[in-house]
Amino acid sequence: MAVRRRPLSVVAGAVALAALLLVGLPACSSGNDRLVVYSGRSEELIGPLLERFSDETGVKIDVRYGDSPELALLIDQEGDASPADVFISQNPGAVGFLDQQGRLKPLPPDVVRRVPAQDHAEDRTWVGLSGRVRVLVYNTELVSEDDLPRSVLDLTAEQYRGEVAVAPTNGSFIDFVTAMRSELGDDQAREWLEGMADNDSPTYANNNAIVAAVGRGEVPMGLVNHYYNLRAKAEDPGVPSENWYFPAEDDVGSLLIVTTASKLGTTDRDDDAEELVEFLLSEEAQRFFGEETFEYPLVEGVAPPSEVPKLAELSVTRVDLDELGSGLRATQDLIDESGLAE
Amino acid sequence: MIAAPPTATTTAAGLSADGDAGVAGGTAPASSGGSPADGPPFGLAVVGTVVAVVFSAPLVYLAVRNGIELETTVEAITSRATLDPLRRTVTLAVAVSATAAAVGTGLAWLTTRSDLPWRRLWRTLAPLPLVFPSFVAASALLAGFARGGLLDELLGPIGVDRLPDLEGFSGAWLVLSLFTYPYVFLPVAARFATLPPSLEESARLLGRSPLRVFRSVVLPQAAPAVAAGTLLVFLYTVSDFGAVQLLRYDTFTRVIYGSRVTNPGRSLALSLLLGLLAVAVVAGERLVARRRTRIEAVRARRPLQVPLGRWRWPAFAVVVAVLGSALLGPVIVLGWWVARGLLGGAGSRSGNSVVTALDDAGIGDLVVPAANTAVIGVVAAVATVAAILPVAYLTGRYRSRVGDAANALVVGGFALPGLVIAFAIGYWALRSPASGWLYQSFPLLVAAYVMHFGAQSMRASQVAVAAVPRGLEDAARMLGAARWRRLRTVELPLMLPGLGAGAGLVLLSVMKELPATLYLRPIGFETLATEVWGAASEGYLARAGLGSLVLVALSGMLTWVLVVRRSERFD
Repeated sequence: MAVRRRPLSVVAGAVALAALLLVGLPACSSGNDRLVVYSGRSEELIGPLLERFSDETGVKIDVRYGDSPELALLIDQEGDASPADVFISQNPGAVGFLDQQGRLKPLPPDVVRRVPAQDHAEDRTWVGLSGRVRVLVYNTELVSEDDLPRSVLDLTAEQYRGEVAVAPTNGSFIDFVTAMRSELGDDQAREWLEGMADNDSPTYANNNAIVAAVGRGEVPMGLVNHYYNLRAKAEDPGVPSENWYFPAEDDVGSLLIVTTASKLGTTDRDDDAEELVEFLLSEEAQRFFGEETFEYPLVEGVAPPSEVPKLAELSVTRVDLDELGSGLRATQDLIDESGLAE
Repeated sequence: MIAAPPTATTTAAGLSADGDAGVAGGTAPASSGGSPADGPPFGLAVVGTVVAVVFSAPLVYLAVRNGIELETTVEAITSRATLDPLRRTVTLAVAVSATAAAVGTGLAWLTTRSDLPWRRLWRTLAPLPLVFPSFVAASALLAGFARGGLLDELLGPIGVDRLPDLEGFSGAWLVLSLFTYPYVFLPVAARFATLPPSLEESARLLGRSPLRVFRSVVLPQAAPAVAAGTLLVFLYTVSDFGAVQLLRYDTFTRVIYGSRVTNPGRSLALSLLLGLLAVAVVAGERLVARRRTRIEAVRARRPLQVPLGRWRWPAFAVVVAVLGSALLGPVIVLGWWVARGLLGGAGSRSGNSVVTALDDAGIGDLVVPAANTAVIGVVAAVATVAAILPVAYLTGRYRSRVGDAANALVVGGFALPGLVIAFAIGYWALRSPASGWLYQSFPLLVAAYVMHFGAQSMRASQVAVAAVPRGLEDAARMLGAARWRRLRTVELPLMLPGLGAGAGLVLLSVMKELPATLYLRPIGFETLATEVWGAASEGYLARAGLGSLVLVALSGMLTWVLVVRRSERFD
C-alpha cells in the first residue's frame, strides 16, 4: 500500500504558487497615484460613469463597492489612515453619520451650487447626485386605484390592516421616519409607527423583497423607493405591480431622498476629488442617472426618465438632511419602541 | 488491532463517566502507549497558544471598541426586545441543526455505503447547496416556491391552489436546513469512507439486520463527525442574517444589524454577548464530546456496500427530492431570471443569438471574478486547514487547557456575523505596525477567511486526527520514523479524507463570502459573490442569476476535483 505522495505535493505546489501570486499582486496595483472611491452605489449604478471620467481626464480611479452604512462605518474605523478620497452614498443616514464624526471636508461652493439648495449640505460636506421618491408599490390585481390612500398617514387605518409591507431595518425607511420626525414631530411619528405595528403591517428585509412580494401577490402594497419597481418591470414586464405617488399636498410619504457624494477629510487629492464630483453633476452623468438607473436627476434642466412623473407634477417633500445624522439614533429608538421591526 | 466494537451503550458509558471527565472517554480505544492524559509537546502548546490569541481577536475587539457604554449594554441585554429575538434564534438553530443532522447523515450513508443508483453523482452534488450566498438562496426559493411564485403559476392551471407559505419560522427552518446540511454531509461522508468494514461485516455475519447494524455499529462510529457538523449548522444558523431576514423570521442578528449605524454601542455589546454565548456552547459541547467513543480509521480498500433491496428506489426518490429542492430548484429559478432578463431585456430585441445575448448580460465580465474566486477559495481552504491542524492535534491527542481554549475560540467565533469578524480584523490590522502593507491586502483577506471559517476545518480535522489509530503511529515511532516522516507517511494519508472534507467546507464558504470580501479585499478585487451581490442588491436579477449559476458550476467542479475524487482514492 504505497503512499501516493505526488498528487499531494503537486497540489501543495500549485497552492503555494497561487499564494505567492496573490501576495505579489497588490504591490503592482496599489500606489498613491489613484483616486480612491468608496461607493455605496453598486457598479451597475455608477461604474460606467467612473470609467468615462477616467477616460476623459486621465485620473485613474480605484473603487471599493459596498453597502453605504458599512462603508461609512469602515471610513470611521479607518480614521486618519483611510485610503478613501471620495464617498458616494446611497442613503443620507450614512453620510450624516460620517459628517457627525467629522470625517468630511467641504466641497467648493460652485460645485454644490449645481443642485438646488435643499439638495446639498449647508456646510457643503455633501452634495446630492440623484433622487429617489418614496412611493407605495401595489399589486394591480389585488388593489383598485380607488382604494389607494391619499397620504402615507392614512395607512394606519383599519382598511389597510395587514396589507402594507414595510422594511423597518432598511436605510431608506429609517430616513423616511427621520423626515417624518422633523416634519411632524416625534409624537406624531411615534403614533404612526405604533399605528403601523398595531395594523399588523408585514415586515420585509428590504425594498427588493417588498417589490418581489407585491409582484407575487403575497402582500397587496408596500412602502419602497420608486425605482425598484421600474427595474423589476424592466426584467419582467408582465409583473402586475405599479407605483403609487401619494397625491396629498406636501405629503411626508412622498419624500425625495438623495444619493450623495462627499470629499473625505483625509484626502490629499482635493482637485481630483472635486473634479470627479463635478463630473457626476455634469449633464452627461445626470442623464445617465435618469436613463440607466430610473432615478431623478437633481441638476436643473436634465429630464427625468420617461417612466416616472416629473418632480414638478408631484408634491414631493424635501427635508433638511443635515439633521439626519444626529437624528438616526433617536429614529432607531422610536422604531424599536413601536415594535414594528419585530 | 482494532478497538473493541463500540456498542449501543456508548451514551450510558458516557453518562456514567461523569466522575472521571479527565479521562478521554468511557470507552477509550485499546491503544498501546501514549495515554491521552499526557501533556502536549512544548512546540504544539506554543502553536495552540498563538492560535487561541489570534482567534480571540474579534471578541477582544468587541470588548475594547469605543462606544460600549455599560449602562446601555446592561439595558440592551436584559430588555425583552433583545431576549425575545435571542430565544427565537436559539429555537430556530436547534430545529435546523436536528434536521440538517438527519438529512446530512442520511445522504452521506446512502451515497457512500449503499448501492443507491448514481451515488457518485449525488456525492458531487450534495455539498453544493452550501455555495449559494444565503440571500440568493432565500430569494430564489421565494421566487420559485412561495405563493404566487414560479411553481405556483405552473401548478395553478392543474388545480393546485395554494402552496404553503414560505415564511416565518417554518420557512426559515426549511430553507436553512436545505442549505446547511452539507456541514454534516461532508465530514460524515468522509468518515464513512474510512470506517473499518470488519465491524459491520462481523455484525452482519452474526445475523443483525442492516438497520440494526446501522444503528448499533455505523452510527456510533460516525457520531463524532455528525456532532461536529451539527455544531457548525447550529452556529451558522445563529449567525445568519440574509436568509432569516428575507424569510421574515425575526432573530437576534436583526437587532445587531439594525443598530450598527444608529447605535453602534448596542450593536457591539450584543455581538459580544452572542460571541460569549457561542464560546460557552462550544466549550460545553467539548466536555460532552470528550466522553464519546473513539473510533479508528483504516484505509479500507473497499468500504462495505449495503444492498438497499426494495428500499433502493424510495431512497433514490428521497435523494432526488432533497437535491431537487436544495440545488435544482434554485438553479432553475436562477436560470429563469437569466432567460427572462435576456428575453425582456433590450439586448435581445434585435434577434440576437444566445451567445451575444449572454454577452450582453455580461458573462464575459465574469471570467476574472470566477478565476479570482477559485484561486482565493483554494488558497484560503489550504491555509485554514494548515492553521487549524495543530490545534486539532492538540485537542485530539492530548489533555490540554490551551487546546480547549483554542478550540472554543476558533469554533465559537463561527457564530459571530461575518461583518463583525471583518470589522474586527480590519480594526486590528489598522493598529498593527505593518498596517500600511497589511490593511486590505490579500494576506489579510485570507487571514479573515481563516478566522471566520476555521471552525469548519477544526471540527473535521479533529475527527480526522482522532481516527488515526494510535497503534500505527506507535509502531512507526518504534521503527524509528521521525515525527515529520510519521506525519507525512502514516498519519496524513489516513487523515486526508477528513481534512479534505474540512477544506471543502471552507472552500465553499469562502467562495460565497461577502462581508470580509467587500470590506477587506484589495481594492478592485472582484469575486463572483461580490458581482452577484452588486447586481442583486439593486434588483438586477438576470445578472445576479447568471453570476450565481457560474458560482454553482465552479464550486461543483472544484468540489469534484479537490474533495470527492480525492476521497474516492480510498474506496
